[in-house]
Amino acid sequence: MSNLEQTASSVAFDGPRRDDNSALPSQKAPFEFSRRGLQLLSWLAPVILLIVWEALAQAGWLTPHILPAPSKVIRTAYKLTTNGSLLTDLGISLARAAAGFAIGGAVGFVLGTLVGFSRVAEAVIDRSVQMIRAIPFLAALPLVIVWLGVGEAEKIFLVALGVTFPIYINTTLGIRQVDPKLLELGRVQGLSTLELIRRIILPGALPSILTGVRYSLATAWLALVVAETIGAQSGIGFLAMDAREFLRTDVIVLTIVIYALIGVAADGIARFLERRLLAWHPNYGAAR
Amino acid sequence: MTVHVAPALTASSPTVAVTNLRRAYGSRVVIDNLNLRIERGEFVVLLGESGCGKTTLLRALAGLDPIDGGRIAAPRRPAVVFQEHRLLPWDSLWRNVSLGLQAPDARERAAAALSEVGLGERLDDWPRNLSGGQAQRVALARALVQEPELLLLDEPFAALDALTRIRMHALVRELVAAHRPGVLLVTHDVDEAITLADRILVMREGRIAFEHRTKGDGTPRIARAELLAELGVAAPSPITA
Repeated sequence: MSNLEQTASSVAFDGPRRDDNSALPSQKAPFEFSRRGLQLLSWLAPVILLIVWEALAQAGWLTPHILPAPSKVIRTAYKLTTNGSLLTDLGISLARAAAGFAIGGAVGFVLGTLVGFSRVAEAVIDRSVQMIRAIPFLAALPLVIVWLGVGEAEKIFLVALGVTFPIYINTTLGIRQVDPKLLELGRVQGLSTLELIRRIILPGALPSILTGVRYSLATAWLALVVAETIGAQSGIGFLAMDAREFLRTDVIVLTIVIYALIGVAADGIARFLERRLLAWHPNYGAAR
Repeated sequence: MTVHVAPALTASSPTVAVTNLRRAYGSRVVIDNLNLRIERGEFVVLLGESGCGKTTLLRALAGLDPIDGGRIAAPRRPAVVFQEHRLLPWDSLWRNVSLGLQAPDARERAAAALSEVGLGERLDDWPRNLSGGQAQRVALARALVQEPELLLLDEPFAALDALTRIRMHALVRELVAAHRPGVLLVTHDVDEAITLADRILVMREGRIAFEHRTKGDGTPRIARAELLAELGVAAPSPITA
């Protein structure tokens, strides 16, 4: 029975089969690389750049105060790590980002959920949120400093501010985009409102919410860099500003690299969440 | 506007009793003074052109749309299979089948229902790995796992190819014979009606315009042309009932 149906399967319901995808590379180009080969190839340019940079520095063509050698940056990283100051500052920065993300994410999610569910809530909340959103959140920095000083509160507030809006917008959008036919099905199957939210609305909104999370992780990081650059007494940004005073470009480059690495790690976490939580989704999950 | 939905009826009374049902969108009357009874275990097929009000009637029976007049006595929670399978893409097949099922052994019951539709091996599979016909079989399992007294089918086979549809007809007859719910199938497929129905109704302009009782074993006692004529499809010599 199922044999016949497999061959007669309707086009409307199924996405492209995975078999079709794997068949793609067989349209052979003159030079063919394996998946692994292509991955190695993609690292070629960055590695060459590093080698050239190191060579130029070793040859004395680069003034160390302008741009230090990569090896110098690595040695500095080792030194700062072993005396403990780097890890302390990194920990402080991460804690600020996490606190700001948690607060901003919670506010954005709650407001987004309210507005997504209720036209009344939308009328009450949405215009104000959209107006505040029109301000580039970093432009609010002077005002935030007047309100909160240059302490922890200011930094966490700024991160939270940057995180709230992407989460808010994507949560609202996600809930609005849930297929009304599935909601109707939920009613037919006798789901309570709470079950409807848990079984249909939130899972349906999840792809969009995770897009918001991914986007807001980048914003959170940006907000933290700016906040820590102004009047910080600790954290990665403080390390960079402090190094500037002494023209320690090796430390400055190190902090930039650390910011980059953490950005990559944050994106990796977001992608991991997408793969795990959206395993059912043809565009995420196992297919990717 | 009066809406009366009586609780589930006792064994002796019909599964569905609709009296003087009226439904209008603004000034446009979609269902006008309609009466309908479906006995327990009876398979009723409702034929009609697009826009004749047949889906509106089904949705009213399902409790999905309000009514503007008359009375519907139907089981509180009929099961519905729609034209689209409406499976939750984020839930495995057994979670889909047991959606809304309040039972500690939900997984076992879902497994039993999936075996009945020939997908017992695929409890933990995702809906996206199913063909159209398989997905619609899961939707049938989801409807029947609730042991409904009334099964409402809204053109459930319309999107399937001809061969799959024939297989689905056989499966539905089997399942209905086993579970004995009252069935209302809405379709515009005359052959489907002849194959499945105990009783064929033709709906026109918001009323039941024609009724025919078949033997219920797929042997047509009615000429296909006669039904088509009722549906307003030009036959060489139109017959009026």
